[in-house]
Amino acid sequence: MTGVISGSGQWAYVAAAYGLTVLLTGAVLWSSWRAMVKAERRSDALRRDQS
Amino acid sequence: MHAYANPTRFLAIARPLTRWLLGVGLLLVLAGAWAGLTQVPGDYKQGETARILYVHVPAAWLGMGGWTSLALAGLIQMVWRHPLSGIAARAIAVPGMLFTALCLATGSIWGKPTWGTWWEWDGRMTSMLVLLFLYAGFIALTNGDEGQRQGGSLSRGAAIYALVGAINIPIINRSVVWWNSLHQGPSITLRGSSIDNALLWPLGLTLLGFSLLFGAIVLMRMRRIIADNRVAARLRRLADDEGN
Repeated sequence: MTGVISGSGQWAYVAAAYGLTVLLTGAVLWSSWRAMVKAERRSDALRRDQS
Repeated sequence: MHAYANPTRFLAIARPLTRWLLGVGLLLVLAGAWAGLTQVPGDYKQGETARILYVHVPAAWLGMGGWTSLALAGLIQMVWRHPLSGIAARAIAVPGMLFTALCLATGSIWGKPTWGTWWEWDGRMTSMLVLLFLYAGFIALTNGDEGQRQGGSLSRGAAIYALVGAINIPIINRSVVWWNSLHQGPSITLRGSSIDNALLWPLGLTLLGFSLLFGAIVLMRMRRIIADNRVAARLRRLADDEGN
């Protein structure tokens, strides 16, 4: 097992990688969802006003 | 394909599909991450850090797959002038850039304990960084341009930029074969995988899960652009009516 990377510090790297993934993916998902809902509501409201 | 170039027909499919992609994608990502963190053993050499694989590989796949889709959308826009292809290309750019950035960041975090360095200017990392810059260039080129104001279609220049940028995709893929690299060689090929099955199976879950989430993000962004286009068209009609 020569050269094996060991130690509890490894989990800090794993947590950083997963944390960053959750944070950035969540931010883009959330902002895309909010922008879509807002735009579709605006479009529907304008259509109702015109009809 | 031509039938679905109509935004109304597209929306009839995209509306229910967005929720499905989002729901199933989130479930698969959570299951894959849980399995990758708790149900598989650490690698015999890299130890626990090898678990970064389950987020790093999907990010790389989607960064490269995103640009391939963007270039295809650019090609369709140039050849058939489908109104939705330009909208699709615009919608792909931000999530594509996000996953490319995530690939670079998680790779760097993996590299420090494994290679002893955060960064190395080798073929794989440098070509992936070029992809990030290509996404940034595409976003800068298309954000607020004439095409965006006229329904979302791409200009000829932006479509050509997307196609020329696709040259970088095979370079990224073959970089670890063509040049000496700290990055390992291809682990998963058409002939099989060099990763043991005991470690491989959660990767299938996260790959599929993140791909579905990517699809959901693209659909949400396309729906937003289509809704904005409809608002702009109605406001123009209103202004015309008031003018007459």
